[in-house]
Amino acid sequence: MQYARRFLVAFVVAFALAGAGTAGAYHTQWVANNCNYAAPTPTSYITRDGSITVALYARHEGYQWGGGCWNDTDVDDSPGDPKSDPNTGGEGPDCSGFTFKVWRETLDETSTAFHQWWRLRNIHGPYTAQRFKNADGAANYPLSKSAAIKMDAYASATHIGMIYVTNPDGTDQIIEALGESYGTNVWTRAYRGNSIFSGVRRLGWTQS
Amino acid sequence: MNEIRTSPKLSRTAGLLAGSLAGVVTVVLAGTALANRIVQPDEQPLLEATHLPPLLTTRDDRKELRYDVYCARSETQAETPCAVEGRVFARVGETDAYQEIEAHRVGGATGGRFVAVVPESIGRASSGFTYYAVFRSDETDLVATLPAGGAAAPQRSLPLGRRIEVDLGAHNFGSELEASERVAQAAWGTGPTEAGLEQGRNLMPIGGSAFDVDADGSVVVLDEANKRLLRWRDGDMPAAVPLSINGTLADMSIGEDGAVYVLETTAVQGQPLLKTFARDGTAISTSAVAERPSQVRIGPEGPVVLQSSSAQWMSAAVDGRAVGVRAQISTAESGRPLSGGRKIVILRQGNEVRVALVGSTGVQRAWLVTSETPLAEVQLAEPYGTGVVLVTRVFTDDRDEFAVLVLDRRGMVKRFSLDSADWAETAPLSRFRLRGSSLYQLGSTPAGLFVDRYDLEVK
Repeated sequence: MQYARRFLVAFVVAFALAGAGTAGAYHTQWVANNCNYAAPTPTSYITRDGSITVALYARHEGYQWGGGCWNDTDVDDSPGDPKSDPNTGGEGPDCSGFTFKVWRETLDETSTAFHQWWRLRNIHGPYTAQRFKNADGAANYPLSKSAAIKMDAYASATHIGMIYVTNPDGTDQIIEALGESYGTNVWTRAYRGNSIFSGVRRLGWTQS
Repeated sequence: MNEIRTSPKLSRTAGLLAGSLAGVVTVVLAGTALANRIVQPDEQPLLEATHLPPLLTTRDDRKELRYDVYCARSETQAETPCAVEGRVFARVGETDAYQEIEAHRVGGATGGRFVAVVPESIGRASSGFTYYAVFRSDETDLVATLPAGGAAAPQRSLPLGRRIEVDLGAHNFGSELEASERVAQAAWGTGPTEAGLEQGRNLMPIGGSAFDVDADGSVVVLDEANKRLLRWRDGDMPAAVPLSINGTLADMSIGEDGAVYVLETTAVQGQPLLKTFARDGTAISTSAVAERPSQVRIGPEGPVVLQSSSAQWMSAAVDGRAVGVRAQISTAESGRPLSGGRKIVILRQGNEVRVALVGSTGVQRAWLVTSETPLAEVQLAEPYGTGVVLVTRVFTDDRDEFAVLVLDRRGMVKRFSLDSADWAETAPLSRFRLRGSSLYQLGSTPAGLFVDRYDLEVK
């Protein structure tokens, strides 16, 4: 009887301690458990429609500041990550990592080539939102916002989102990795007219 | 018979060791099972269609319906989309029989662009036409209907007819009107009279995500970061009304009975929700929203929500009872319902905004506003007397302001510009409200938020 009682007490304490430790470390394990570092697939051919398809597969997934890996379960598998820590290893891209992968850019900033990374490749790319806004990198160039069409982007100093479709009221539906509380999805936004946003276009779409 | 005896001390130690080991092993096994569960499942195929509906047309417009369709067996086949067949069903007015029109794929073999040419007999009908599209992929066994209500709730396209044309010319930036009165203001913060600011690594600061003006003239701001309303009456310090909300760029409208409708565009795990509260903040109901919502307004029977991809207004509650998702879709409408069976319809394309007040027999009055300076979103379009008040954003690549236009049967009877005052982000179309003859603007600076009132008539 005494043995059983002590077994039970020890089990509960060990379970709680181990569980707490695992929970604390859980968010650092998502990328480690699910993502890869495979070489990208170079391709000579990308379309705006193809990039929208790549982006749509990220809908309803998570957000991770500094991140660039997600799956296709339509849920955020690491909700509640600390918002300002890029090292928590949670699911999802951040806004600029998402744009980099959807636009299928390369790590070589002097190149306009296309690299398919696929969603489970953990990569953020070299650009922040500010750098996209500046149209840094050979693959990115500035665009008048009034000329922006689907898969062009609006970028501010802190955020970037890509056009999915324009609404009758003149807003745009933007596909974007918005934040830890939001994840990655399509939302209606009024970025086009807002002067903190600049237009950016990926160079070299195979067709408009 | 030999009896194995152990000392009490050994028994205690063995119990503790075994229990600890079992606890740790259980956690490890559970963790491994969880890790395996979240490993990537098989990829799902997708089929999505988007469409900018020609809600208001002129005789010169090409009567074409254009769709972008995205079909894929998997992400890795994004550039080799699956074959899709498209059909559009269109009819004169709202009661004729639908006529099937083939939607032709254009733009090459890999493009997902479809165009359906509407026959003259339908496209030029004086009562307009209604239509919906069905895209089918046999490879993926998926079907996309747009708008989602199909034949029961088609999209409606109306001829502008004898519209009133207004040419804004080139916008003169820097001549903003001063407010008649600042009716509310709050510094950023978490104190009882302050408004919260939500900030993330990628976010513009979000604060005071929406506002409305109550029937008694109170200004009510949705302080989503602090999960409450701030209510100002007669310029006093605000009263805080706690709300059970999750924020996430929520829009808000207040009914004539004081009920508060909060539209959470993300809510939990991406599911948008409409939450209804009593004036004192007591939660009344929470209901799901069918599609991607962008704004909630008060219709004659209750709250209505503008939703995409259908690009239609859907009734979210009727006489206080929540409307289910299927019923939202099957009763959707192209225009925002107003009292007396009327609707207001807007369409912004390029540097042009079309606005129409629509009755049961069609367009009652319509305006076509053109501008040399690009126009972005229409922030507000509300009936006003025999006309409408229209607020639209005028922009260049590095400047923007709001243009306020009072339109009636004579044309543009009043026009002024307002500073965009949008340091903090709000829900996308939550910056203006019209109450009586006063226009209210929710603005913000790095110091805090404010609501300014602009009187449209001399008092």
